[in-house]
Amino acid sequence: MGVFDTLGISASGLLAHRKWLDAVSDNISNINTATSTSQSAFKERFIEAQAVNYGSGEGGVRVATAQFGSGQGRVVYEPKNPLADKNGYVRYPDIDLGDQMAQLIMAQRGYQANLAVIDRATKTYQAALQLGKG
Amino acid sequence: MTSPISALGFMSSFPTSGVGADMSVGTTTAAPAAQAAGGADFASVLASSLDGLQATQSKADGLALQAATGDLKDVHDYMIASNEASLATQMTVAIKNKAVDAFNQIMGMPV
Repeated sequence: MGVFDTLGISASGLLAHRKWLDAVSDNISNINTATSTSQSAFKERFIEAQAVNYGSGEGGVRVATAQFGSGQGRVVYEPKNPLADKNGYVRYPDIDLGDQMAQLIMAQRGYQANLAVIDRATKTYQAALQLGKG
Repeated sequence: MTSPISALGFMSSFPTSGVGADMSVGTTTAAPAAQAAGGADFASVLASSLDGLQATQSKADGLALQAATGDLKDVHDYMIASNEASLATQMTVAIKNKAVDAFNQIMGMPV
């Protein structure tokens, strides 16, 4: 255990939320990616976070794995799309933009909360180092 | 050190005749007394503390280099490392100042 462990623990939270932001941006950027019905649609990205046992001497969170949603998507009738099959259908990813925006807010606020912890911890440590100087 | 005035016991370990003649006698006899009372002596505590500071600062330096070359993966990594290096420096300097203050107070003691 180091003296300034809070900083490292909050850094792991920042990393996890940054990866969540990456996943959300990946999902939103591909929300209109059409594929032919013979291929699978863009699979929604999910971040699986896992707590690191504090007793292990580390603490914090880590991203265990990235999970992928269904490649089924939704089949849309777009006969003019060059990717359309002979019946005029293409496949779109089944991603809800509202859900992604909600996740975006959560990831952003989580990132900011971890930064706030780092800020407060730094100020706290500095206050402790000022002890007895006045 | 177990009691606030145990420094007096520490001082008593100075050989009265050796202080003026040979300065190293005072330090060599004082160190075992400090170790017996409170574990590691101050020199080794300061040395390990400086080693830790060195490691923290070189980590921050490495990340600064990555930021300059565009290899930095996470912005917060560098910011936190430099923050930690700054805090560690402040802590080491604070400990050093306290120790020097304590030494000066003892040296300024009227005999």
